[in-house]
Amino acid sequence: MAVSDKKGTPEIHTRAPVRGMKLRAAAVLIFVVVIAFGGVIGKLFHWQIQEGDSLQQEAVAQQLSDTVTSPNRGKIFDRNGSTLVESQLVWTVIMSPAAIETDEDRVTIADDISALLEVDRDTLYAKTQKTYSQFEYVKKKIPRAKVEELAAWVSEKEMGGVFRVITDYKRVYPYGSLASTVLGFTGAEGTGLYGLEALYENTLAGEAGRVITTQNGWGEKMPNTLSYEKTIDATDGSSLVLTIDQTIQHYAEKYLEEAVKATGCTNRGLAVVMDVNTGGILALAVKGDYDPNDPFTIADPDVLAELAELSGDEESTARSAALQKQWNNKVVYDFYEPGSVFKVFTSCMGIEEGVANESTSFHCGGSLTVLGRKMNCHVYPSAHGTQTFAQAISNSCNPAFMNLGLSIGAKNFFKYFVGFGFTELTGIDMLGESQVTSALYYDDTMGDVSLATNAIGQTFKITPIQMITAISAVANGGDLMTPYVVAEELDSAGNVLKVTTPTVRRQVISKDTAARVSAMLAASVNGGGSRNAYVAGYRVAGKTGTSDKTERPEDNNVWASFSGFAPADDPQIAILVVLDEPHSAIRYGGTISAPVAQKILADALPYLGIEPVYTDAELANMNSATPAVVGKEVNTAASLVKSQGLEYYIVGEGSTVLKQVPDGGATIPKGGQVVLYTETTVADKTVTVPNFEGMTLSQANQAAASSGVNILIKGLVTGASGDPKVSTQSVAGGTTVPRATVVTVNFIYADAIE
Amino acid sequence: MATNGQEAARTTGTPAKKKKRSYGLLAVGGFDMPFLILLLLVLSIGLICMFSASFVYAYYNDGDSYFYIKKQMIFALIGVVAMLACSCVDYHWWHKAALPLMGVSYILLIIVFLLPSASGIRRWIRLPGIGQFQPSEVAKFALIVLFAHMISLNQKRMKKLTVGFWPFLLVLGTVCGLVVVEPHLSGTILLAAIGLVMMFVGGSNLIALGGLLALGAVGAYIMVFKLGYEYDRILVWLEPFESYAGEMRDQAWQTVQSLYAIGSGGLLGQGLGNSRQKHLFLPEPQNDFVFAVVCEELGFVGAVIIILLFAALIWRGFAIAMKAKDKFGFMLAIGLTAQIGLQVALNLAVVSNLFPNTGISLPFFSYGGTSLVMLLGQMGIILSISRGQNRLHQDLIEE
Repeated sequence: MAVSDKKGTPEIHTRAPVRGMKLRAAAVLIFVVVIAFGGVIGKLFHWQIQEGDSLQQEAVAQQLSDTVTSPNRGKIFDRNGSTLVESQLVWTVIMSPAAIETDEDRVTIADDISALLEVDRDTLYAKTQKTYSQFEYVKKKIPRAKVEELAAWVSEKEMGGVFRVITDYKRVYPYGSLASTVLGFTGAEGTGLYGLEALYENTLAGEAGRVITTQNGWGEKMPNTLSYEKTIDATDGSSLVLTIDQTIQHYAEKYLEEAVKATGCTNRGLAVVMDVNTGGILALAVKGDYDPNDPFTIADPDVLAELAELSGDEESTARSAALQKQWNNKVVYDFYEPGSVFKVFTSCMGIEEGVANESTSFHCGGSLTVLGRKMNCHVYPSAHGTQTFAQAISNSCNPAFMNLGLSIGAKNFFKYFVGFGFTELTGIDMLGESQVTSALYYDDTMGDVSLATNAIGQTFKITPIQMITAISAVANGGDLMTPYVVAEELDSAGNVLKVTTPTVRRQVISKDTAARVSAMLAASVNGGGSRNAYVAGYRVAGKTGTSDKTERPEDNNVWASFSGFAPADDPQIAILVVLDEPHSAIRYGGTISAPVAQKILADALPYLGIEPVYTDAELANMNSATPAVVGKEVNTAASLVKSQGLEYYIVGEGSTVLKQVPDGGATIPKGGQVVLYTETTVADKTVTVPNFEGMTLSQANQAAASSGVNILIKGLVTGASGDPKVSTQSVAGGTTVPRATVVTVNFIYADAIE
Repeated sequence: MATNGQEAARTTGTPAKKKKRSYGLLAVGGFDMPFLILLLLVLSIGLICMFSASFVYAYYNDGDSYFYIKKQMIFALIGVVAMLACSCVDYHWWHKAALPLMGVSYILLIIVFLLPSASGIRRWIRLPGIGQFQPSEVAKFALIVLFAHMISLNQKRMKKLTVGFWPFLLVLGTVCGLVVVEPHLSGTILLAAIGLVMMFVGGSNLIALGGLLALGAVGAYIMVFKLGYEYDRILVWLEPFESYAGEMRDQAWQTVQSLYAIGSGGLLGQGLGNSRQKHLFLPEPQNDFVFAVVCEELGFVGAVIIILLFAALIWRGFAIAMKAKDKFGFMLAIGLTAQIGLQVALNLAVVSNLFPNTGISLPFFSYGGTSLVMLLGQMGIILSISRGQNRLHQDLIEE
């Protein structure tokens, strides 16, 4: 070593490293290699060998994408196969902020996409900032058109990889609010929240499928060599076929809604139509209800207006109460006092127990005193005097039925009260049926005062579904059915999985009793106190009721109801109409609820193919169709008109009919007038429509004849007593119209009792 | 080895019997073959692993799976050429270069602050057509050369604070100061570690060094726990999975994904090329966390073998230093070897969460062209030092 150091080379070259330096260097070597590398190896041993399995599990969890595939939720059909609810394919947009390249892109996305998909710009912008994230929801459930717009935007801006869409289903109710109370609705996640959607959730939902695939950090599929895929197919939900008939449902909703509006009903109204032989619900309407396509919007504009005046907690409390109210199924949820409608059952008890029959006479002195308590008839201080059983029903006489109740006795009365199902759930397959508790009725230990008031349907409460089920039992010969709305369950291919068989819970009264009570009820409709429910050609049996809401007497509110069935001699369908808190001037069940039932029945009975059977009196009152005579020779035309039982009136000197009023095929009463025009140059003969409102039938007929218009009469009961007056007319009084124009006039029995 | 040296000596054509000679620019003698073989082995494995790790990332980010490996291969070739060239330069030439190199480093470290920043970070200088490089890398090399120079000149007086402590501290302090404000914490730590190791080996006052370390530890403690500087980083280090599950998901992401990769490797690994974590879970797998992918693909066994290869390389560098015939060669070889050792140790410690995540690359494995060329060039200097020893052996034999 010293050799090279000897001559002239700089000292620095010649000095070998000293021992101390080498020792310290060795120490550094040992530190780095042994301590540091050893430490790393130890740590690797810990992670790879000791913790390897659990770390790998967590790694695999993020490397596998477990995508849930939505099953197609089952549809709901009406009994004729018309689709009431279905699921439509929609798309959900997902963004991968990690794939956005520049800040300008983030701004562009926030600006353009918020406008395109109608989402909040700032929220979206915040999502674009989550640069670690590969999965941010942008908007759920958009239609195909929007997806296409988005795709066009993505390709224009070259932002493939940032957005993707997944398919989903959206619940669609094609008829809007129709049968919403029955159907219910689903929440944002597609789960049923109300109605059949909720009750049959498990049936409708089906089972979600899963697709498990390997994915990379951006949530994309890994290359094939590393990929793993397992698919578990989704099982589509089953569909429901209801007993509901869309057409009858439509009639019920239409006429109920008219009545709810016309009477200023503040606590909603309901109408139910039931097949008396099966217990199947043909129509179940509650107004106001909601649109299940948009259930969280309050449908009633009046309620909305009230809400607009509130704020803060008050507003949100009122809002949620209003939503609950529009959603709930009043037919099964609410309790009400049936009032005089209950006299149907008191009648059944009387006849079944043999304490009364058709020839029993009842006396009404205007009131009845029971155990020192005086209870008035609704005609008090007037009185019904001596009546037959049928007259007592027709008069809805309170003293008569209180006496009948007292003679039946508490024990027997309660036996039938239970028998008709008023103390138990009906078992209908609908969400939220309320259980009547013993606090709401009197049992067989009740005293005479209670018994007397019970006999006239007061001081206890039931649910509307209990009422129509019990009425159906009277109609079908005494069988108390289990009401139901779901007739069948179908699998996604349409195969029948399950059929609901009608269930008779028990026979409450004999066939004979049922038939005898039906006959008396039919008499009540056919000219009696329930005559506003009369439908020409059909024997309708029924009973009206008006009951005071006694909890808050200061509000002076009532339930106005009608319940009945038709045809009385071969009952097919039962109906119940309840208007809760109507505010019209007259608010008897017979005045406002029976007409709703009448209109529904008048449409539903022919629709159901139940043939009308007209009496001679009805036939005489029948309307006639005008013959089509345009182009015919005048004399031929005149004899054709005459042959239809109509009068003719010729205008002009021509020999051929060039125009006729009314047109061929129009319906006008027999004896009505047809104007035949034989010249084009002659001006139409015009007349002024009289104001018929408030007129009696004969006054209306006279006015029509003298003015030269044809009137089509509705709402009259053949051979009924009482004093019907015109309530509305289709063409306003004072309007100038061509001679012989048909004006429809509606009569109503304004003095209809209760 | 001796045979190699003789052959190499012959091929360089140096007259065998010339005893009086000045150390010219050209190094003579055969270089240390085990070191070269180990180095080329590590480099080759590093390239393969980097290729595997970058494959997917390159595909998604650059549309070309070969994007990184192509560039890295080219730089590796340039680097090997640079290494051979450096091995032919007599390392004593670096005496002359020590001060100018340090001067250039200071200038570059200042220039970097005049350039536009990349999201607030100023670490790189871009050379058009070549790529970018970090002035701190140049400074690291300059520091090693300068300290070797200073120590070899003053070794006997190193214990004196005015000779063996304060001047060193002045250089180290200013360089580290410039790097830490870039900010580049890992570069600073590495610089400081290399500097301190060289001072320690060179014979600086141990009490002063100990005091400096204690001061640094206290300072770091105050910075982190009292002032909250980089506190998140420490928290992630201590509780990576809790942080990942909680609010610090972003900060803990890289560490946890690295541990997922390492854990997924198990004993024998998923097989080369089969990492799943490199599929965009582990951020930039070709850079600092390339070793995590290595662990996943080659398992504990493969990882340990690679660590042992590094250890062997370092041991061989150390052996070369030990045989150096002068203090400058010794210190230069120690400095350069320590650089590799410390950087490897620090990187592996970060990847396995033994040390907080500071962002430091793995020599010969991580992607980075200019740094690879510089690294290989420096290895050439170690080879040059080994040539000197062989020359010396030959001198002795011939005498």
